[in-house]
Amino acid sequence: MIIKVFRSYLKRIFDGLFKKKANIKLGLYGSPNAGKSTLANRITKDWLGQEMSVVSNIPHETRDINLKEGVEIRKGGKKLTFNLVDTPGIATKIDYEDFLKFKLNSKEAKQRAKEATKGVIESIKWLDNMDCVLFVLDSTANPYSQINITLIGNLAARNIPVLIAANKTDLKKSNIKKIEAAFPQYKVIGISAERGDNIEELYDALFKVLK
Amino acid sequence: MPHQCVKCATFYPDGSEEILKGCNKCGGRFFFYVKQKHIEEAKDVTVNLSEEEKVQLEEEVMEIIGEKQDEDYPVVLDFETIRVMKPGKYELDLIELFKGKPLVYRLGEGKYVIDIISTLQSNDKNIRDGHKYAEDSDEEIESEEKGN
Repeated sequence: MIIKVFRSYLKRIFDGLFKKKANIKLGLYGSPNAGKSTLANRITKDWLGQEMSVVSNIPHETRDINLKEGVEIRKGGKKLTFNLVDTPGIATKIDYEDFLKFKLNSKEAKQRAKEATKGVIESIKWLDNMDCVLFVLDSTANPYSQINITLIGNLAARNIPVLIAANKTDLKKSNIKKIEAAFPQYKVIGISAERGDNIEELYDALFKVLK
Repeated sequence: MPHQCVKCATFYPDGSEEILKGCNKCGGRFFFYVKQKHIEEAKDVTVNLSEEEKVQLEEEVMEIIGEKQDEDYPVVLDFETIRVMKPGKYELDLIELFKGKPLVYRLGEGKYVIDIISTLQSNDKNIRDGHKYAEDSDEEIESEEKGN
């Protein structure tokens, strides 16, 4: 038993020493429709010339983990390589009736709800694998939600570095100050993933968080 | 005739020793004498409201406060992690899921399904990692409470 524990301890130290920087996993987390996939597409389009996720107005469009390996961003002679993980939106309630408004039939909506529930569980399971999390928030919505508070609390408990992307700044209702007030311990960058507004500042901040 | 503490508004029935010794909660020695009839009347005001009136009342108060009514009420479940309300309607206990608690689905009154595989995987992982976030955080909270 002692040998087993010692071996596991040595393995952890060894893994830590030789962990390649290229294997950094950057996870995009947040509520459904916060703009995680839009941001993922923006990042991969900017640096790889291709999109990685399907985007739609219907909540829970992303219901599986999407992984893009080897995303390389360059800034002022510096280089940062990471694996980008686009995750399904985290929700406390999933109701197929919400999808009926988007012209899905009842069967499709129920199937979507089932897959979305599975997606939430997957997102949560993957959190432990993340080296850094880009927490995507809809800046037009109330930041004090059970989902946001639970997620940010768990990131802090796991000592995972966090950068907050307050998305949808192109919309009138956007309120970055409210997000900054809600999470004062984290750096908040206001962006519009759809239009690409302020995205360079987000890349700069990523360099600082992932250094 | 019940007595209400002037300081903390705690009620004590007639003849309670607290009236002589002081309030249990705040130590206050001054009490209002409240007629039972008035308490019953006050209860009736809220109890007899119709569901519609209660909703309207809530809306009005939220309007006065200036907050948009948040329909997104927090989900707190029993020991299950996922409650299946009906096909296509789910409620998830994020706090327990983040703690790595087993996937227990509640299908209805007294009907549960436990995902044994995920439970074993989660236990195995916790043992391999040599720590449990859930227990760690619970212990921390407990020790903080004790400290206070």
